[in-house]
Amino acid sequence: MSSELRYSTFKTNVKYSVINTNVHNVDGIAKVTGRAQYTFDVTLPGMLYGKILRSPHPHAKIINIDYSKALELSGVVAVVTGKDTLGIKQGIWRRYSELCDEQILPLEKVRYIGEPVAAVAAVTEEIAEAALDLIDVEYEVLPAVYEPLDAIKKEAPTIHEGVERNVNVTRHIEWGDVDDAFAEAEKDGYIREDWFRCSGQHHMCMETRAAVSNYTPDGKLTVWTSTQSAYYHQALLAGVLGMREGDVRVIATYVGGGFGGKFELDAAQFCSAVLSKKLCRPVKIVFTREEDFIASKRRTPMFYYVRTAMKKDGTFLARESRMFSNGGAYTGMGATALYLSGFFHSFPYKWRGYRYDGYRVYTNTMPSTSMRGFGAPQAMFCSEQQIEWMCKDLGLDPFEVRRKNAHTECYEVPGQAYIQSCGMSECIDEIEKWAKSKGDLGPNRAIGVSSCGFMSGGIFNWFDSPYSFSSAVITINNDGTAELHVGCQDIGQGSNTTMAIIAAETLGVKVEDIKVHSGDTDHCPADLGAWGSRQTLMAGNAVKMACEDAKKQLLEFAYAEMGLNIVYDLDIKDRWVHVIARPERGMKYEDLVKKAIRAKDGQRIIGRGYYTPHRKGMISPAYSYMMQAVDAEIDPETGKIKIHDVMTAHDCGQPINPLGLIGQLEGAASMALGYAYLEDMPMDEGKLLNPNLVDYKVIKAPEMPPTGIIDIHTYEAEGPYGAKEAGEGLTNPTAAALGNAVFNAMGIQMKELPITPERVLKALREKKEQETK
Amino acid sequence: MEKRLLKLSVNGEKYEVYINPKTLLVEVIRDHLGFTGTKRGCETVSCGACTVNIGDMSVKSCSVLAVQVEGLNVTTAEGLEKDGKLSDVQVAFLDQGAYQCGFCTSGMLMSATALLKENEGKTLTEHQIREGIEGNICRCTGYNSIVRAIDAVAQGKYKEA
Amino acid sequence: MIHDFNYLKPGSLKEALSMLAEHKDECKVICGGQSLLIVMRQGMVTPEYLLDIKHLEELNYISFDAKDGLKLGATTTHREIEKSDVIAKNYPVLVAMENKLASIQTRNWGTIGGNLAHADPAGDPGPVLIALKGSVKVGSASEERVFPLDEFFVDYFATQKNDDELILEIQVPVPEPKTGTAYQKFNLLDSDMGIVASAVSVTLNNDGTCKDARIVLGNAGPVPIRVKRAEELLVGKKYDEALFAEAGKIASEDCEPVADIHASEAQRRHVAGVYTKRMLKKAWEQAMA
Repeated sequence: MSSELRYSTFKTNVKYSVINTNVHNVDGIAKVTGRAQYTFDVTLPGMLYGKILRSPHPHAKIINIDYSKALELSGVVAVVTGKDTLGIKQGIWRRYSELCDEQILPLEKVRYIGEPVAAVAAVTEEIAEAALDLIDVEYEVLPAVYEPLDAIKKEAPTIHEGVERNVNVTRHIEWGDVDDAFAEAEKDGYIREDWFRCSGQHHMCMETRAAVSNYTPDGKLTVWTSTQSAYYHQALLAGVLGMREGDVRVIATYVGGGFGGKFELDAAQFCSAVLSKKLCRPVKIVFTREEDFIASKRRTPMFYYVRTAMKKDGTFLARESRMFSNGGAYTGMGATALYLSGFFHSFPYKWRGYRYDGYRVYTNTMPSTSMRGFGAPQAMFCSEQQIEWMCKDLGLDPFEVRRKNAHTECYEVPGQAYIQSCGMSECIDEIEKWAKSKGDLGPNRAIGVSSCGFMSGGIFNWFDSPYSFSSAVITINNDGTAELHVGCQDIGQGSNTTMAIIAAETLGVKVEDIKVHSGDTDHCPADLGAWGSRQTLMAGNAVKMACEDAKKQLLEFAYAEMGLNIVYDLDIKDRWVHVIARPERGMKYEDLVKKAIRAKDGQRIIGRGYYTPHRKGMISPAYSYMMQAVDAEIDPETGKIKIHDVMTAHDCGQPINPLGLIGQLEGAASMALGYAYLEDMPMDEGKLLNPNLVDYKVIKAPEMPPTGIIDIHTYEAEGPYGAKEAGEGLTNPTAAALGNAVFNAMGIQMKELPITPERVLKALREKKEQETK
Repeated sequence: MEKRLLKLSVNGEKYEVYINPKTLLVEVIRDHLGFTGTKRGCETVSCGACTVNIGDMSVKSCSVLAVQVEGLNVTTAEGLEKDGKLSDVQVAFLDQGAYQCGFCTSGMLMSATALLKENEGKTLTEHQIREGIEGNICRCTGYNSIVRAIDAVAQGKYKEA
Repeated sequence: MIHDFNYLKPGSLKEALSMLAEHKDECKVICGGQSLLIVMRQGMVTPEYLLDIKHLEELNYISFDAKDGLKLGATTTHREIEKSDVIAKNYPVLVAMENKLASIQTRNWGTIGGNLAHADPAGDPGPVLIALKGSVKVGSASEERVFPLDEFFVDYFATQKNDDELILEIQVPVPEPKTGTAYQKFNLLDSDMGIVASAVSVTLNNDGTCKDARIVLGNAGPVPIRVKRAEELLVGKKYDEALFAEAGKIASEDCEPVADIHASEAQRRHVAGVYTKRMLKKAWEQAMA
């Protein structure tokens, strides 16, 4: 069997009862029996179906919208446009009003093909769709611009009034003396500069954008939606509808994938809410797959200029990079991608000097936003390939050069980040061993590697939330079972299970004793949600704190009950409350709970926990590290690529859920390989040319290579039980590793994504022409 | 449009529905009979989230006219368990963590069930398993855990002694 | 959304043909519907009547004899062809082709007749059946006609079949001794339709020279294209890789592929040539064995 579990658990120094054991996902039964109800499945009495009319123009003024004919169609109940809204410009970067630039149902003009202009509610989906053809929109078409390097020119059309040169956001990151280091390299070092073009990518969640809004006569709004953060949508919807947050309830029990595309307000939520508020009836909007492709947000396409200097012995001196990203029509999370790309472009190495200037430029295309990896896959594609080429140019060993410059424990990225745990060197050692053990792979086939490091949640509060980033409440019932209320969102990555594991370990019980409640703002505490790889570290810390609080309250009674000498400590493990020094002395957890509740006048034991990073640098409280190797073979006559194997040495601190970790590795690899050589979003004058699953190619089972993981165990002081992120960092290295495999196999440098057969053949032809000269 | 009476069997029970003849099997299953385990993820018969079994054969129910299953037996993910006892494939999926968001899972289970039934008593190579689920897209797992789960069942690891 | 239609369910082939004769171009035929339902859902095809022949057992059969060869009823599913022992034994290239056609779910319900009637230029069966010298029999209420498959397809999604006719049967002759047939399509995902494809059949004389060859390109024009100039080049020649390369070059010239986002015209021509060269070698070696 190709992809054996190389370790069914992972090596660790500590033997835990629950952590790092194979447990079934707590949502497993619901998901494997068809019982799990997604927003896609929600139906309510009297529910109407909504459909959205979208702009056919990339840039146009809306002169008039006449929907009188649509209203005459039998079965149509209402039509809304921007005029039925408060016209509030919203955005997820709430702290900076200039970045809140999107009305969703715009009042004055449309800025991309597919932008919503009107929404219909009708008794059936079919009637709603037919009604769209009866809405007349008069547009005044404006000149449009599609590429950032065109949009930034003086003569380009202005997309947002008052935004000069269409420059939406800029980011400057710098440390050390960059110019000095380059001067040194010019004397007796080595400098290389290259341009790269990184494509967009679509999240392509199995469940498309969906929402069911239900506004009731008591002035309350309930929205079922497919989201990565119920709290964000509660706050954003309340904001655009002029309601109190407390009068908005968002429910997201089961979510069919997110990958970074589902924590901004989208048209399914907004339009269904506006319609429902108008009618006081439930309205359901589900995007078709085509709509999901053309009118949601995508991974940010980036143009990177990278200039790097190193000594002739491979010591890194400086890097100076400039990046232009295609922001599309609105800001969204693109501002964060701009910053993170520039930051992780320096990872995982020590530089004497580093300078990055990022420019996010508006264009008349669908907005670009966060997608798993958040700008780092693009950054690594450039960085790790250029490093490989420089090693080749200088005749140096690429493993040795990476190891020589790698981050180490307790390193400070000047003014940016403090690295605590760091297994980067060990990762390099393991992959070097693995790659060399494979020996000669034959013609047209080679291994390529890439290192990287990634954040475990961000320290920024651009959302301007007044709440702790993560919170948790645990309530212990009389029979010892416990209700764990968390705000973190399970979107398939298994956070419910991770939290249940952490809770069970801390409380000293079994996973089946913990009932996780998430995805409902009426019952769960606020949490920033599932993005930026934050939940294991941040929500995990909150859960640990809550359970330690509850355990302390329980143990107070046990100390009294057992009359112990003051020097002895108690703990709970496997439902056994015991003296740590003498584990045979103790009592059953279930008995202690009953006594404790009785002693508290019948009150259940409640523990509270929360976490917000403080004074943790500019980016993140902790960083995962990894090196990935891709074994690829190229057909020299057709350019077609076959991936034989993907091996990753990975440091996520303490693995919490081994089955989950392997799932994250394999899932990340399939998505990142797709980015590397299959998936693309070609456009023609702002029109997406492949908005369906026939023409948008994603990896399926026959293309998926065997994958393996070598766990490098470190202990991260900032994380619960030493844990750091796993699953998003894993998308970062793959495109670069594949590019390096192609370079090592065929001697060609791929500077453009995706690495298609045609691009490979073109590079081979150019190489041949160069050689004959 | 005049509606037609359709009699079909779903998960071992007989049902009658009145439908417009253009109704797809997936619409009968989800909207008329309320079995929402089966999902839809595309309009081009590409994703496989709507996979159900007709007899022992897997089909994409978004691409079958409901009237064509008159008198036939349809099984959905809800029909795999018997009185609360999960099928071997379902248990194998739990053991291997062969799902994440779960949206493709119902369809994936039906493809796996059909594949295993067709190859009962024969060896099933890894290559055949991958080909057997080629019609089901999963965006979360990277497929390898699903392949391991199906392989475990094929190897007899869930046979009762 | 699919437009409303009147649903017709004939009890027999005879009844089906008389219904077709009555409704003609107002009527579309559905069997598995694996291609038809997609275009109906897009609103591109909106018939008044839909004639359902999926259940007509009269048209579902696979028969083979050493004289007349293979006869496939039109409503035989792709999966039935893929799993047929007699086809595996006598026409293994058909099994190999079906194995990579779309996904199992589609092959379980979709039919060979439906596939040929739809006439997608990227379809897999067309080029392979042409390489095998196959024919198709169509019939109306009044008559039956037989077409060699390389004359059956006339344009994108258009065949010689009239509106009042059904595809009844696909006929494939017994391959001559010392014949090899190979097929490969170029795609990025295993079972996708080919960006371009090549089906090659070679029959050898006893002295190892080529007696007869067929080279058929898929998705390189509005219909499968027989590269007759390359076929003629091979007759009388011996196994020679340089010859195969030359035939491939001709194939890359004698076709009309259309560029799209997946590949440029140049790439399609180039790969058509490469795959023709490779399939020629494969088919020839099969014939020699």
